[in-house]
Amino acid sequence: MLKPRALSDVLSQANTGGIGSTLLLNSEGSLLAFSGFGDKDASAAGAIASNIWTSFQKSGQLSLDDSKLDCVLVECKLGKIAITKVANLLLCLCSSENVSFGMLKTKITAMSTYLEEPLSQIASS
Amino acid sequence: MTEDLKSYLNKQMATVDNLHAIAITDRDGVVIIKVANQMAPDTALRQAFLSVFGIMTEQASKMGMGNNSKIINFYDRFQTVQINAHPLLLHFIADRDANTGLILELEHALADVLQDISKVVTMIAQVRRQADADLFPGDNTINHCIRSRFIY
Repeated sequence: MLKPRALSDVLSQANTGGIGSTLLLNSEGSLLAFSGFGDKDASAAGAIASNIWTSFQKSGQLSLDDSKLDCVLVECKLGKIAITKVANLLLCLCSSENVSFGMLKTKITAMSTYLEEPLSQIASS
Repeated sequence: MTEDLKSYLNKQMATVDNLHAIAITDRDGVVIIKVANQMAPDTALRQAFLSVFGIMTEQASKMGMGNNSKIINFYDRFQTVQINAHPLLLHFIADRDANTGLILELEHALADVLQDISKVVTMIAQVRRQADADLFPGDNTINHCIRSRFIY
């Protein structure tokens, strides 16, 4: 059984040191869980993040010798975003522009490793 | 000129271990100049792959975080570092374990090259616009855009 409150609490643990929000999305880009500050439209950002992931995954499969996509880092003028896959879902971290790519990638890898097993159980049930 | 540019890009490529290719394209992914070694997959230097970044950088600019400047993808065997240097796109294809920070630093080393190519691209666009205006006087902008997309 999925406990939404517990899931949000886990996601909120990543929101330190410049990370503003953490999103969990399903494969269609709909928001499953969210934790973060501010009143930004998380569902719109989530839908775009999902589209970016799907496009690069498909193009990588076709053009990079059938490579599997592990992580995407996006830098914009006012912030950075990291996207990775957890079970059959997408995890997305949004941060301010002064967070370095290394820290962002380490945090999203740690978070996905932690969530992989419980979310895989839910996905298979 | 092109050979000089290619040898400069090759020299820069050699400064980063396991960097396999550098490509400079326009925003539609049409290759302007590229250098690659044997480890780079051929398909990764075609428009079908390179044009994806052109579309995705526009999408990423709508996430409410300002204009997109870079997208880094980590695949299980490769990594791609793609930089939006308007009006050009800069693509790096490397091994997964290549140093991403060093690849990102190459943007500064290639700044002058990008500026020179940008000037040429902008100049060609202006010449084409002028030629179009001479051929079709009194034409409106929308028709011009449609025609320039299909004729040139």
